[in-house]
Amino acid sequence: MSEEVKKKKKYVPNPNSAKYKLGKIVEKHYKEAIEAKANGEKIGWCASNFPEEICQTLGIKVVYPENQAAAIAARGAGEKLCNIAEADGYSNDICAYARISLAYAKIESAPEQDMPQPDFMLCCNNICNVMIKWYENIAKEKNIPLIMIDIPFNPDKEVSKEQIAYVKGQFLEAIKQLEEISGKKWNENKFKEIMKISNRTSKAWLEATSYCAYKPSPLNGFDLLNHMAVAVCARGTVEAAEAFEVLCKEYKENVKEHKSTFRVEEKYRIMFEGIAVWPHLRVTSSGLKDRGMNMVATVYADAFGLLYDDLDGLIRCYCGVPNSVCLESARDTRIDVAKRTHAEGLLVHTNRSCKLWSGFMPEMSRQVAKACDIPLTSFDGDQADPRNFSEAQYETRVEGLAEVIDSRKGDC
Amino acid sequence: MSNVDKLLAKFHEAATNPKKQLDSYLKNGKKVIGCVPVYTPEEVIHSFGYVPFGVWGADVQIKEAKRYFPAFICSIMQSILELGINGEYKGMSAIVIPSLCDSLKSVGQNWKYAVKDIPFIPMTYPQNRKCDSAKDFLNFTYGKVIKNLSDIDNIEFDDKKLAKSIEVYNKHNAAMRRFQKLLSEKPVLTAVERKDVYKSAYFMLKEEHTDLVEELNEYLANAIYDGSKTRVVTSGILADNENLLKIFDENNLTIVADDIAHESRQYRTDAPQSNSALDSLVEKFRNMDNCSVLFNKDKVRANYVVNLAKENNAAGVLMIMTKFCDPEEFDYVIIKKELDNADIPSLQVEIDRQMVNFEQANTMIQAFGEVL
Amino acid sequence: MYTLGIDIGSTTSKCVILKDGAKEVAKSLIVAGTGTDGPNRALNEVLKKANLKLEDVSYIVSTGYGRKGYRLANTEISELSCHAKGVMHLFPKVRTIIDIGGQDAKVLSINERGRLAEFVMNDKCAAGTGRFLDVMANVLKLDISDLEKEARKATNPVQISSTCTVFAESEVISQLSNGSSRENVVAGICKSVANRVATLAKRLDIKDEVFMSGGVAKNEGVRNAMEEVLNTKIVYSKDSQLMGALGAALFAYEKSIKEE
Repeated sequence: MSEEVKKKKKYVPNPNSAKYKLGKIVEKHYKEAIEAKANGEKIGWCASNFPEEICQTLGIKVVYPENQAAAIAARGAGEKLCNIAEADGYSNDICAYARISLAYAKIESAPEQDMPQPDFMLCCNNICNVMIKWYENIAKEKNIPLIMIDIPFNPDKEVSKEQIAYVKGQFLEAIKQLEEISGKKWNENKFKEIMKISNRTSKAWLEATSYCAYKPSPLNGFDLLNHMAVAVCARGTVEAAEAFEVLCKEYKENVKEHKSTFRVEEKYRIMFEGIAVWPHLRVTSSGLKDRGMNMVATVYADAFGLLYDDLDGLIRCYCGVPNSVCLESARDTRIDVAKRTHAEGLLVHTNRSCKLWSGFMPEMSRQVAKACDIPLTSFDGDQADPRNFSEAQYETRVEGLAEVIDSRKGDC
Repeated sequence: MSNVDKLLAKFHEAATNPKKQLDSYLKNGKKVIGCVPVYTPEEVIHSFGYVPFGVWGADVQIKEAKRYFPAFICSIMQSILELGINGEYKGMSAIVIPSLCDSLKSVGQNWKYAVKDIPFIPMTYPQNRKCDSAKDFLNFTYGKVIKNLSDIDNIEFDDKKLAKSIEVYNKHNAAMRRFQKLLSEKPVLTAVERKDVYKSAYFMLKEEHTDLVEELNEYLANAIYDGSKTRVVTSGILADNENLLKIFDENNLTIVADDIAHESRQYRTDAPQSNSALDSLVEKFRNMDNCSVLFNKDKVRANYVVNLAKENNAAGVLMIMTKFCDPEEFDYVIIKKELDNADIPSLQVEIDRQMVNFEQANTMIQAFGEVL
Repeated sequence: MYTLGIDIGSTTSKCVILKDGAKEVAKSLIVAGTGTDGPNRALNEVLKKANLKLEDVSYIVSTGYGRKGYRLANTEISELSCHAKGVMHLFPKVRTIIDIGGQDAKVLSINERGRLAEFVMNDKCAAGTGRFLDVMANVLKLDISDLEKEARKATNPVQISSTCTVFAESEVISQLSNGSSRENVVAGICKSVANRVATLAKRLDIKDEVFMSGGVAKNEGVRNAMEEVLNTKIVYSKDSQLMGALGAALFAYEKSIKEE
């Protein structure tokens, strides 16, 4: 008994820590949405890369099905919800986030991560076209409005002014539709304020991720995957900006004091490509940590750090998120990150759920590995369906990657 | 051989020998441009005097493309790249690849590195088609394709020529729609013969194809049908495998209408009158609908399929599912529900381009026929 | 009048002879399927048991994987219809049939008139079929028929969840190397098959009673797991593998009456 108390005490987090603050923001985010729904407010389900500035400016409460699906998967209920969607006729080839979300829209309850049911859907397809199909189906099943901002995949390196004009037209249209749905009015000054806060948050977030470049890194790269939820759901809030600024301060101190949240010796520095394997987060994380392998680079984390000066700039940012750009742009961003962080190897998650991310990954990762002169290995997994991952395969591949890095170091 | 048999043989020959068709156009000094699913602005290509040539892959074993794609990308895309790498499209001056689904986006990106001798022309369509700002954007992206095509031979784009090409295409659309209508009244062709008519359209200049189809339509208009087959509607992306289609006839099923992307979906919408020919093409795309790769918040396609079955007195609907095609897999659930509500029996059959054994499909389709 | 149904599966051949479409005269089951001498052996055996000659049989219906190439048949009917027919003959209250064979898993829904109304079949993945059990039995160095006995001894079934057979194989191996007992692993494998097929079954309305047939239905471990997953009682007969052949023999009787 006394031991138990002791143990519990040990785990009380420091309320001034970034980790605590970030956790609270996510908690508050869901809590407020549930309360708002109970008070009769209209709630939206929102794509992670839908311009959150619109909702923040209008003061509309939204929740993020992608965050929810990741949380449900990380807490072990991915298979259960996937099975429910499959029993309804959804193929098990479909993105597991979508399957979990469709199942949740049906059963309306999941103790792993509850959130209110939607009164409208906010869709943006800059990360993939699955978003369209997924949101269409929920809007149809629930008979609720669907607002769509189409940001086409850009085959060129530059974002054209025509694409910006097209997206801007939809952006303004979306505002009009949301004003009607919510009864709230657009306020240009508030929008400017929100843009400012969002930039402040993004800046702090990008700074935090940039500490990975230190050798050794003051953080375990997997931390970022957890903190990312805030960058998605609360970018336009002062709390988020402040929490990330605290995070920066902590990392800065770690650098000074030669400390790190990566609690073992950093023997290898790698770039991790793809979304986390949420259902097997522990296994994938310890598979690296046990070998002293730290993830110092990932494009995914930076994806939610958007910096811009004005509306056109804002739209340009949303047109340039990782999955919406051509191979060359995607490749160059990664080469840049890998070089900046001195990554020594590339570990690619071939994510069964994400056809777009995996569809030209073999070619692109070859080019990245070549340009950075680092070894490359991939493993099969899934962002939310636990059934598409093999621990044995993962262990073998990671082991192999470590051995190749070792032998290369020996060659020098 | 009767006249109609000769005609059907022509369709069959073109449908089953695309390489021969391609080489014969090339030999006659024509430039050929590959057109990847689901939609490309063929009229624009045609207006340059080039031959728009359908590139939907083929039923082959995937080997080389595995270097580029993981296993869970649809086999249409995989086989397009496979054939590209293997030189099956050699001689084409360029290939137009739209980005209407996620796998198509990847085909385009991989193409640049896998098949270096055939330049990649991206075609970007706006999904928010009805939104006002989509008009200018589509004008712009068509403009980019036009620029790429112009560069091949330094030919100027001519809107008047495009108007002529649009006429050719609208006429072909009309012939294809009439073909399907006649076949619904008198389903006298086998599923394979029917497929040949649709498939050959991809490998022929449309004016040539229209002539053949109109000739066939005249025959169909006068044909006599004894009325003993079970009428079904097919839905899906692609249903061109002969081993699959033979199962229909073996089980006395006849396809009286389809919602297949490779077949009727191509011919539903004409380019309307507009200020310029290019504007008319823009309007055409904005008017298109009832398709898994075209956004529609009301999912009207489900009702479209229900009505298609009703209007054509079909006893049931066969959902031919191309494995790993997620746009279709999402739509399936909603369509199935609407069909159930309308008491129309339906069956999902999963296929892919690497399938050699159709035993399960056979059993399912036979049993479905027995249920009907 | 004698009619015969022959069900030529991927791994077994089955025959049933009926007298006047009602009384079962003889049956046979040979473990050798399409493309082997199994169909012939099954036919010879059933004729011998019935003490009949081939000429005594008025009508033959073939069904199953190998139904198309069977020359002696007067006609062929899909195993889906035949299964439904056979089961309904013996168990008229059944409304859902779950059949797991060597290659296919199928779920049939029967309407009020006792006719096949709707059905679903497995996708290309082998995880919910007899083939999956074969692979797993092989990994465990067990005979497929021993799986049932092992599963019965399980105290705490492990979870095997991989969709892919290769991954499941490695899951099984790592469970064993982590010290899980063989019986618990076997029970986990049975449950995994039940889970996969149950998901398929849920695409249809599962109405009571639920009958299980096919080779895999012999495995009590899978049947019990299925009862648990679907939360319903499963009806089962020792002759469940013969339902297709029985249905074929019944159809044969109806066809011959009609043709006369």
